[in-house]
Amino acid sequence: MCGINGIFAYHSASSPPREDELLATRDYMRARGPDGSGIWWSADRRCGLGHRRLTILDLSDRASQPMVSDEGRYVVTFNGEIFNYRTLRDELESTGTRFRTTSDTEVLLHLYARDGVAMVHRLRGMYAFAIWDNARRELLLARDPYGIKPLYIANDGWTFRFASQVKAVLAGGRVSRDPEPAGMVGFHLFGSVPEPFTLYRDVRSLPAGHTQRVDAAGPREPKCFARLAEPLAAGAQDPAPAGELHDRARDAVLDSIRAHLLADVEVGIFLSGGVDSGAVLGLMRDARQDNVRAITIAFAEFRGTTADEAPLAARVANHYGATHIVREVRESEFRDDLPAILEAMDQPSIDGVNTWFVAKAAKEAGLKVALSGLGGDELLAGYSSFVDVPRWHRRFGPLAAIPGIGRFAALLIRHLAPGFARERPKALALLEYANRWTGAYLLRRGLFLPTELPEIMDPGLVREGLHRLQPFRRLAQSLEPDPRSDVGRVCALESANYLRNQLLRDADWAGMAHSLEIRVPLVDFTLLGRLAPLVPVFKPGVGKAVLAKAPTHALPDEILAKNKTGFGVPTGAWMNAVMREKTETIQPLQQSAGLVSRRWSRAVMQAFA
Amino acid sequence: MRHQNVLALVTDAYGGRGGIAQYNCDFLSALAGCGTVLSITVMPRHAPDPALPPARVRQAPPRRGRLSFTVMALVTALSRRVDLVFCGHLHLALVAASIAYLKGAKLIIQMHGVEAWRRPSRLRCAAIETADLVLCVSRHTRARVVGWADIPPERVMVLPNTIEDIFRPKDSLLRTKLAPESKRMLLTVGRMDSSERYKGHDRVIAALPAVIAKGHDLVYVVVGDGDDQRRLRNLAREVGVAERVRFLGRVGPERLADLYRATDLFVMPSTGEGFGIAFLEALASGTPALGLNVAGAADALGDGELGTLVSEDELAVAIDRLLSAPSRDPHALSESARAKFGRDAFGLRVCAALDRIRPTA
Repeated sequence: MCGINGIFAYHSASSPPREDELLATRDYMRARGPDGSGIWWSADRRCGLGHRRLTILDLSDRASQPMVSDEGRYVVTFNGEIFNYRTLRDELESTGTRFRTTSDTEVLLHLYARDGVAMVHRLRGMYAFAIWDNARRELLLARDPYGIKPLYIANDGWTFRFASQVKAVLAGGRVSRDPEPAGMVGFHLFGSVPEPFTLYRDVRSLPAGHTQRVDAAGPREPKCFARLAEPLAAGAQDPAPAGELHDRARDAVLDSIRAHLLADVEVGIFLSGGVDSGAVLGLMRDARQDNVRAITIAFAEFRGTTADEAPLAARVANHYGATHIVREVRESEFRDDLPAILEAMDQPSIDGVNTWFVAKAAKEAGLKVALSGLGGDELLAGYSSFVDVPRWHRRFGPLAAIPGIGRFAALLIRHLAPGFARERPKALALLEYANRWTGAYLLRRGLFLPTELPEIMDPGLVREGLHRLQPFRRLAQSLEPDPRSDVGRVCALESANYLRNQLLRDADWAGMAHSLEIRVPLVDFTLLGRLAPLVPVFKPGVGKAVLAKAPTHALPDEILAKNKTGFGVPTGAWMNAVMREKTETIQPLQQSAGLVSRRWSRAVMQAFA
Repeated sequence: MRHQNVLALVTDAYGGRGGIAQYNCDFLSALAGCGTVLSITVMPRHAPDPALPPARVRQAPPRRGRLSFTVMALVTALSRRVDLVFCGHLHLALVAASIAYLKGAKLIIQMHGVEAWRRPSRLRCAAIETADLVLCVSRHTRARVVGWADIPPERVMVLPNTIEDIFRPKDSLLRTKLAPESKRMLLTVGRMDSSERYKGHDRVIAALPAVIAKGHDLVYVVVGDGDDQRRLRNLAREVGVAERVRFLGRVGPERLADLYRATDLFVMPSTGEGFGIAFLEALASGTPALGLNVAGAADALGDGELGTLVSEDELAVAIDRLLSAPSRDPHALSESARAKFGRDAFGLRVCAALDRIRPTA
């Protein structure tokens, strides 16, 4: 976890950027990188790069950033980890490249010098970086395929700016805060702001798996170099034989975990009572990681009930010989932390509170790096969406394909059964949306439906936002090329939307606020490629069972059994309680499913107003 | 690299009058100078004055009527090879986009100022969204376009106005006539249109008593025509500065250039500038310029590096301060303005924009 930023006054009419702006943006990200900081300016001072450092690999000052190549041509500012950097380094050294540090940052410089933009195809990791080429006077930005690391860009037509956080871009004081209707509409549809939009018209996300070049004529359109649907589509054409399922899954996941253990500091783990983090811990042990410290959040409200994860987590920690740290969180702490949570939240999100507390606990334990089981549900069909979305699409799709039937049925039901229509807005919309995968997915994941938005936002803003967001077209991009299986399609939709825009972003801001790098070995493009031939057979339940058995010492059976019922989390109730007190000014919403999330979303939005 | 045949649809260009015509001439002449351009056919709606386009540029006779213009544009497009369509005004976007589509050509659309600040009709908006490149005269205009058009922001670039050669510092012949002896001279150049009223003549007049009270003996010269002059004269009378305000009406280019040179301070507290070419003309003539930090003026005044940007309530104080400040070297000021907005810089930008839509780019 680090913070990167930069300003490039590319247009010859623009004034050179000011150092105070570069520093204001950089230092807004102090929590991302408390261990060091640096800036670099091109000789004509038209391009400036900034960096805040959290030291994890090569703790020496030699590895400080922005890092300049030996001959002075390339300069890099980099946030993230390149997990295969040792292999790349060996390869570069074998052809005569000499290194002066043991960091992964230097590998980026040499790899770019050798391969140019094509370097991104060689990287395994989570990354966002910018490389300045002094000779071509050109900036290259890149972001990893899943979008684990954030990168925001702003271009006013004269000057290009970038940073790891939206709020940091704005902290420089030179970027407009004019609202982006697509971002606001997107947040209400999905519960998080869908990339590339943010709440602000002039700030955008560099999309995951994209590079962008900026030269004297300004930024070029971002170029995609990795789509999550690609390996899924390829894998479906080359399915794994049933007999190889277990071994191939174990090898692939263990390989990812080995890669993610790369660090010169201790690596801990977030341990819940579920399969994903339990299996990750088991495989850490298989990767010869001893004396792992595992952090679990427990809630006083649940003590002694079946909703309490801590006893099961303790059982897993004991099973794998980990040191277990249980951190109890109460409602009063949530209330105390709420202002800090909303402050740390870079863009509005209806989630992330749990991650905030577990990251806080990890920091209290002195950890800088922790693995998380995040991504297991997307990869191994853990969500109910893997059942619902294909079922709705199959069951209601053919009927919904009849033009106008959805709206007609909704009108009819609203008239005949107004109570049902109010309580179950999504059920009402089945015939309107279920004829396409993206529609069924939006029904499953959506916070509000497009048709509901005019009730809570200005209708003009909704119209404009929907025109710019094109939610279905954007969701459909996650399915290019077609993953060719039900599980594959939902996997692609969940990974490229919910995981990317919500879970990974929450992990970033909540971890960053506590100077903690959260690593997600189940969110790895190489792993996805290796598991893709297995994904079509990972029907709900199957994938998780395979993962539970992946460690040499399989997870205890009770973990898998419990996984099916899930755990309770009281944060929803806490949010609800706080919001009821705080939001009397907000228009009361109709009672409906997901009321807590909806009410919380309105309150979060107020914090960003 | 392939040589390109360009079809330019414009309201006016060579032989036209006003800022948009000038911009189109500058753009097309620069485009003709890019190595990859083979020919440019310009189709204007208006061309009141005779003019001689440069090499590789041919201008068709003007077609005033919308229908005849559209028909001629289509006929011309269908009868020859077209690799690139340049649309010089938002209002021509639909026909330009149709031609680009029919011919499989690239499309560049130019946005000037206020016309692009509000979302155009749905059809026009859709036409603009098909453009390979949208050029805007200022960051402000660009921000507005990016705000209403569903188009990748990278396709919307800023190509600011450039400066005519006649605007250069030298001794003024008019100075003694307009502001003799110790009098200071303020100048605004812009239309006085009662339906617009954004140029800020009234703001200057209202500020004059406070500036005079600071001890400045001054005359305020206004260049331009328009039906709002009577109101402004009345305002000048009301605030007691009628004898200090001189309305000169429209003037020719040579006289205009001399007026810029004669002036101590060019002031145009406008709220609606797409770019504000008059600021550049003043600066290029070596005269300090003052504007409001609103819309395109920030670009023309180089974010305060070339001229002074203030808020509306600081206007009188700023005029006083600038009139009291030691005068800047006019040649240095002119060179600074030319370094940013001169013809060389403009030509490079046009070719860079063209390069951006090269098929291999």
